Amino acid sequence: MENDKIINKIKIIDGKIIDLINQRMEQIVISKNLNTEDYFSAVINNPSEDIFRNSRILTEQEFLQRVYREIVAEGEMIKNKNLKMIAFQGEHGAYSEAAAKHWNDDLVPIPCNEFAQVFEGVESGKYDYGIVPVENTLGGIVSEVNDLMIHTKLHVTGAIEIPIIHCLVVFPGTDHREIRDVYSHPQALAQCRNFVSRNKLKPMQYYDTAGAAKMISEKNQGNSAAISSKLAAEIYNLEIIKESIEDYEINRTRFLILSKEKNTENGNKCSIVFSAAHKAGSLFSVLEKFAAESLNLTRIESIPNQLGNYAFFLDFIGSERDAKVQKVLREITEMTMNFRLIGCYDERKIK
Amino acid sequence: MKNLKLVKKKSEDSKTVIKVGDLSIGEELTVIAGPCSVENESQTVETAIGVKNAGADMLRGGAFKPRTSTYAFQGLGLKGLKILEKAKQKTGLPIVTEVVDTRDVSWICEYADIIQIGARNMQNFSLLKEVGRVNKPVLLKRGMYSTLAEWLNCAEYILAEGNPNVILCERGIRTFETYTRNTLDLSMIPAVKAETHLPIFIDPSHGTGRKHLIESMIYAAVAAGADGLIVEVHNNPPVAKSDSEQQFTPEEFRKIMLKARNLHKAVKEIL
Repeated sequence: MENDKIINKIKIIDGKIIDLINQRMEQIVISKNLNTEDYFSAVINNPSEDIFRNSRILTEQEFLQRVYREIVAEGEMIKNKNLKMIAFQGEHGAYSEAAAKHWNDDLVPIPCNEFAQVFEGVESGKYDYGIVPVENTLGGIVSEVNDLMIHTKLHVTGAIEIPIIHCLVVFPGTDHREIRDVYSHPQALAQCRNFVSRNKLKPMQYYDTAGAAKMISEKNQGNSAAISSKLAAEIYNLEIIKESIEDYEINRTRFLILSKEKNTENGNKCSIVFSAAHKAGSLFSVLEKFAAESLNLTRIESIPNQLGNYAFFLDFIGSERDAKVQKVLREITEMTMNFRLIGCYDERKIK
Repeated sequence: MKNLKLVKKKSEDSKTVIKVGDLSIGEELTVIAGPCSVENESQTVETAIGVKNAGADMLRGGAFKPRTSTYAFQGLGLKGLKILEKAKQKTGLPIVTEVVDTRDVSWICEYADIIQIGARNMQNFSLLKEVGRVNKPVLLKRGMYSTLAEWLNCAEYILAEGNPNVILCERGIRTFETYTRNTLDLSMIPAVKAETHLPIFIDPSHGTGRKHLIESMIYAAVAAGADGLIVEVHNNPPVAKSDSEQQFTPEEFRKIMLKARNLHKAVKEIL
């Protein structure tokens, strides 16, 4: 099966070429907010001369210059489209990216290494939106994000809940009988624990699900697999052995969409954050106000902040344009410290 | 048969009933139908829709094929399993498919509702032990030169490993007769019911190997009290990659099923 090996190799290489072109275009989109037209064309989009001098024996300089003429022209066109960006934490193929695409497929998803970079990027205007996970039905809360939410000035302009469907993915052409190790984020491994043990695989912790998929696409060792999203399998050109391998069907994650600007549309859900005084019943008094107006709370979380106090996140069904809601929020502002309405938005649930 | 502990009936009316989805195998007449091999997505899905409309309870299809010749179509493997999964999503039919390699047992269990051990693998003891360790029902075909005692001992292997859900399937044995592919031994229906509590199915397709013989054998099996049937159906038999002489079209199968189900009702009343 030598031909099959070559075909698979070329498939992976072609996928990488397209991925790298996309990464170049991503940088061009990111640069839109930062530069003048001239600087863009002369410096950012213009390939440096060195790379043509380094052309290898098989490809002529002229060929590469031809290819780059096309790439540069496409780059100009993309810049002129004025695309908006949504930053997420992780690698391309992360579930956050899948959620972003469900939210608005016209936004360009930009990967960041850390949640903090997502927040900073949107706050500084580098990115137009950010998307962050806040809770998962199996894994609980994402505490790093909650921490950043307390201190940020960004607004929540939307929320989306998606099913997290894990796939077992391998380098194309891998014999499923040879798989021994499976790499993924510890949470994904935990959510697929029974599947992994039924098939006598060894779980190997990796920092990220999409990162694990990327690693498998580059490693090509016949006996390794990864657990990742279907999106990651498509991006890294991996073969899916089985879709939907999570042990429990109800595996969903909720994401918040962040922006510098407040949501201008009417929303059906509100999120607030506040600290309550250190005395008995202070939180109870806040909750009482919601109950009095029959406002349905959908989330309540306490986060310890640095001062040894607790910050509380509350999500409830309602719109800030509603008089009842305005009344309750006014009352709560009096009763609490550091009160902030972080957003009033529409929440979507994907089946 | 002296060694049999778990397979033997404990009392006269002890009967194993195996639940697959809404089906109670051993209580009702269960009909499994589908192509011999999973050849491509449209062939399998079309055939699945055809057998579902004809009243079949489960879909069969071979992804891993035990072919006599190494040059014959060996099956699509994992791709075949994915196609069966698509067919299940489209029709709701649970899946029965054969395992040939012990290394495939756990993977096939991710896709199939019942895992089949073929006649040529009836005494593949490591395979029997491997399927004994999973909790999917096993369809155990009788070997083509195996006695009832040998067959039940193989079922005992599976039960001894901890899997109580075994369905025995008679598919014809080798005799000196050459007119038929195998000689269908219907006497195994009352024999199995006398000796064990396990359900007994009949495969009239391999049992005769010739289309014009299969129909009456289906009715004979129903009349003799078989718990189920496994019948080969293909949406275009002349171009099938295996067993093209013995597969029905969905329309032929539909007509037969109508009669078979009516017969089953009558048999239950009379016998």
